Amino acid sequence: MGSGGFVCDFKVMDFAMRLHINGICHSYDQVEALRDIEFGIEPGEIVALIGPSGCGKSTLLSIIGGLLKPTSGKVLMCDQATPDGCLNPLTYVFQDFALLPWRTVAGNISLVLEDHPLGKAEREARIAEVLAQTNLADFAGAYPKQLSGGMKQRVGIARALAVRPAVLLMDEPLSALDAQTRILLLDEFAALFVRTGMTAVYVTHNLNEAVRLAHRVVALRRRPGTIKAIHSIDIPIDQRVEGMPELVAHQNALWDLIRDEAIAADKELDHVA
Amino acid sequence: MSRDIEAGASRVRFRATGFNPRANPLAAWGSFVVVIALWQLGSSTGFISELAMPSPVAVASALWKLIISGDLWRHLSASLQRLFGGWIIGTVAGLAVGFLVGMFSWARSPGVAMVSALFPIPKIALLPLFIIWFGIGEPSKFATIAFGVFFPTVINTFGGVDNVARNLIRMGQSFDMPMMSIVRKIILPGALPTILSGFRISSSIAIILLIAAEMIGAQYGIGAFILAAGNLYQTDQLIAGVVVLSLLGLCVSWLLGRLDRWLLAWR
Amino acid sequence: MKSSWLKRSAVAALVAASLGGFGAQAAIAAEKINIASLAFVSSAPLFIAQEKGYFADEDLDAEITFFQAAQPVAVAIASNDADFGVTAFTGGFFNLAAKGGLRVIGAQLHEDAGYDGSAILASNAAFEAGLTSVDQLPGHSIAISQVGSSFHYMVGNIADKAGFEIDSIEMKPLQSVPNMIGALKSGQVDSMIIVPHIAKPLAASGAGHIIGWVKDYVPYQVGGLFTSQRNIDERRDVVAKFVRAYQKGVADYRAALLMTDEAGKLIESDSTAEILEIVHKYVYAEEDAKTAYPKIRNGAMFITEEARLNVADVAAQVKWYQAGGFVDASVDPASFIDTSFIPALAE
Repeated sequence: MGSGGFVCDFKVMDFAMRLHINGICHSYDQVEALRDIEFGIEPGEIVALIGPSGCGKSTLLSIIGGLLKPTSGKVLMCDQATPDGCLNPLTYVFQDFALLPWRTVAGNISLVLEDHPLGKAEREARIAEVLAQTNLADFAGAYPKQLSGGMKQRVGIARALAVRPAVLLMDEPLSALDAQTRILLLDEFAALFVRTGMTAVYVTHNLNEAVRLAHRVVALRRRPGTIKAIHSIDIPIDQRVEGMPELVAHQNALWDLIRDEAIAADKELDHVA
Repeated sequence: MSRDIEAGASRVRFRATGFNPRANPLAAWGSFVVVIALWQLGSSTGFISELAMPSPVAVASALWKLIISGDLWRHLSASLQRLFGGWIIGTVAGLAVGFLVGMFSWARSPGVAMVSALFPIPKIALLPLFIIWFGIGEPSKFATIAFGVFFPTVINTFGGVDNVARNLIRMGQSFDMPMMSIVRKIILPGALPTILSGFRISSSIAIILLIAAEMIGAQYGIGAFILAAGNLYQTDQLIAGVVVLSLLGLCVSWLLGRLDRWLLAWR
Repeated sequence: MKSSWLKRSAVAALVAASLGGFGAQAAIAAEKINIASLAFVSSAPLFIAQEKGYFADEDLDAEITFFQAAQPVAVAIASNDADFGVTAFTGGFFNLAAKGGLRVIGAQLHEDAGYDGSAILASNAAFEAGLTSVDQLPGHSIAISQVGSSFHYMVGNIADKAGFEIDSIEMKPLQSVPNMIGALKSGQVDSMIIVPHIAKPLAASGAGHIIGWVKDYVPYQVGGLFTSQRNIDERRDVVAKFVRAYQKGVADYRAALLMTDEAGKLIESDSTAEILEIVHKYVYAEEDAKTAYPKIRNGAMFITEEARLNVADVAAQVKWYQAGGFVDASVDPASFIDTSFIPALAE
């Protein structure tokens, strides 16, 4: 299976979109965080951004979604076709879930639909649909504080799906969860991507997540953040299984890529603190 | 077997005692009863002179006279109107300014500077100015209370807005929520716990300022009644008026507690 | 040897000196008294007695402590911080007198038909709208300092004698005289009652109109001289000495400031200049004589001969305050008035 092959596998290709990250540079005050970031994201492709802490991967994700203005460069959305009923083409899933504690599960999803011209019936239908997709139907009336971390992130996913996004921007969505929950949700994410053919940018520091979910892994180096390598994994996502030797090989290759950077980051943090 | 083990060992002592006060409503009421009983005892035996402190019985009878003569309701209704009117004016203005200061850079520094400069001013010192500006009628009484309520409300509101988790606002923006929706659905509810706890402070301030507000030109009102009783050295009536204020404070606090539970059920 | 002799004689001299000093001190030691007062013309007899040495003549070492308001003067006596006080009668005074062991032993000011006392003023706006006489007061507002104050009583007294209901006038308690003046000037109240030395300049400057005089509604015993029951019980001779000195002061006050011609107009007497100079040391002391003297003369209200107290009027006042609920019903004027030092004013 060639690296281009998987694109054709996705029936949703016609409404997916292409993102161009075009010469992005970003500096905070005097510190240069990102320099000349340039890559494209194919429709239906899952791209993982990895790198040591401080390499600017979260900054890059904020820039991609328009939450941060880069010092220079731009992000281009090509292929204007968006999914039917798309309300928010670039939609985030947050590491800390970002749920409103004063709204129920259904209310949190309703929140992002209320400002769009949807009828009450259509809104409720959408909420019911995404709750069903994320196995939350029984929790519609629960408040976030009543939910486990894993359930909270499922609500985050449901909320993102409710606006029928063209690209999911996922910012370390599993880092705040315990190891068991992480394994469960990882499987659910994989199933979700396979089922919907969603395009996604997935920021993680966990290489296991990257090799389970991504078609391509962009490894960043730090100070300033530049692309060190782009690593392709041409195993269809639905065929990837925890612990399969090919994945382990990919994971090891990625580790070799960023190992020195990680050690440097670790040391730097030591004397910064 | 176990005997042998115990023989060579010393028992680990439980060390985590104290630092864990628990509520005991019975003790709360009991403390009132004990204090009042001791006070009555002191008065009855002449240990506490009638001039220094009227006995609880004298206070109760003054209170009873106030109730049966109907004066209590006349005073209370005058005061409640002033309290409520002044508090609403101060709170609405305070919330508006608090939100502006909490959300906009242009309002931030001037707002904080003004509030810091004006908050500590004893409002009673400005009473002569209020009389010039608003006259000796009801407006100056509303103004005194509103002015006192305004500043803590501003401080609490912008503190509350500041405390709204930034990630929630970012989330709203990431879903392209319009500004007004973010304010109404994210910032307002997020700041509400702080705003509501500010209400407790501002309502107490309103009650404290009632005396100042009713110093000038008030024929009726609990504050005016207390002032007159003080001027006349009718200490039983003075304490009776203070008891009414205290009960008023308890009622307000209870109502705010209900409001808390209703609005912040999600906590 | 010489040095020890010196030492011994020095010690002896020291002992003698200290003993002698002690004896001399005991012989001339005057009784210390503390007088609580306001810096008003109404307390002038005290100042005269002090300055002219009437207290010293009675072997009293008097110290006058000044207060800002009438009520604290009474409190100071009740708490034994002062021995004698002179101030106006108020509801608060009567309550305090009954509870705190105060004894009224003489008179302060009294309204008298022959002398200008407090005036009833109308604001310009109210005057133009028709408030030109006292019987038109019903339906108007009037500034008073506090509920149960002497201002409040004067309104009630006038209402009774002029024949209208006090409830028909709207009382505006404004806490202080400056507030009352401000409210009248700005037209926020329609009227007020105020002492002559404030009323006359206000009317003269066009800030208000005098529509009547409290003296037209006499009798009115404005204030009194009082001490504590403890002083009467334990230092009766000191009280008697103080009263004598105070009465001398009153006599000088009357001679200097209350002399009138046949037409009833105030005139200067031989002692007027001397007494004005004395009073000026205590009242309007920060102003120069030219402006202060007219004010003192304007403020010099009538004081009865020998400072005799109008006991009947005080009883009537207590009754009025009691009817309004401003004085406790249990208060009996007889319990706090003591006429054994100065006989009561004959009716």
